[in-house]
Amino acid sequence: MNAPFSRQIIDTLKDKQVTFFTSVPCKLLANMITLLEQDTAVSYHPATREDEGLGMCAGASLAGKTTCILMQDSGLGTIINALAALVQFYQLPIVMLMSYRGSPGEPVPAQAPMGMLTPELLKLMQIPMLHCHEAKDLNEIASYVDFARVKQGPVVILLDFHLMSGDQ
Amino acid sequence: MKRYALLKTLVPVMRDSLVVCNIGIPSQELFAIEDRDNHFYMLGSMGLCTSIALGLSLNTTKNVIALEGDGSMLMNLSTLATIGNRGPNNLFAVIIDNGSYGSTGDQASYTSAATSLAGIARAAGCERVIECNGDAAAEHLEGALNEGQSTLIIAKVESGNEPVPVVPLHPVVLRERFRACVSH
Repeated sequence: MNAPFSRQIIDTLKDKQVTFFTSVPCKLLANMITLLEQDTAVSYHPATREDEGLGMCAGASLAGKTTCILMQDSGLGTIINALAALVQFYQLPIVMLMSYRGSPGEPVPAQAPMGMLTPELLKLMQIPMLHCHEAKDLNEIASYVDFARVKQGPVVILLDFHLMSGDQ
Repeated sequence: MKRYALLKTLVPVMRDSLVVCNIGIPSQELFAIEDRDNHFYMLGSMGLCTSIALGLSLNTTKNVIALEGDGSMLMNLSTLATIGNRGPNNLFAVIIDNGSYGSTGDQASYTSAATSLAGIARAAGCERVIECNGDAAAEHLEGALNEGQSTLIIAKVESGNEPVPVVPLHPVVLRERFRACVSH
């Protein structure tokens, strides 16, 4: 596994002292999940659902950790309440690393409907979003982690299908 | 015994632990009995109590106790699988099972009929699961804390709520005083 983008993303988060990770899987995130599984310097525990994962992140945040959940954008539909009534209500900094399955390149028709809604839902919820179309966009991830701490809330790193599907 | 009476027996046992308390009337009753900095009252996001406690327990060496309910546990059963596989020994849960949705008008939950949370928890991989009457829960919790073994206690009580007000504290105040307890 070469996966330079996946390595860059995880290294950036670790450099920014993100130490607790959870995930609900996606094939676009698979290389990052493999890296986390093999990394003894971080705490990584898979979740069964995205809202459970946000609950785990919230608990870790109460212990002072900056946390990250890896998930598909379709999972956003599962966690609106957990975001609004837990993460935003208690003002907890959480990095949401989201594969943008519902973006061009996606072969599965059922991914498209939530993909159409994802950017608007995030805007409606006033969640800052870094939309990564190409490799150079990944260089801005570090500043979004900083912003999650400054704003004391969630930020989303949205990773285009085309960008991550080529990262082998 | 109802939930309020059970919570009264638990409070003295939980003073040295970090407590994550379920949304709604459970948090209101706990707040009315004794408000403490080591209590994290959930004001929203029903179903995530035990998951919050799990995330916390994985990031502290202190004992963490989830005060969960049957209705909210039913809403997030799959977190029992995560706990069964990844739960550390400083994680404890008291699932207050009154067979009803107390905060919304005491509608019956499925644990009042065919469903066993103890059976689900064991099948999910949780090794130490105790099902007991509410009046025995505090003793079981104290024993589990002393042994340092992660335990789920399903405490059976009657349905019914104490007339207590909502928790008046701002969420960021709750967060900050709780974080101070975690790091102290």
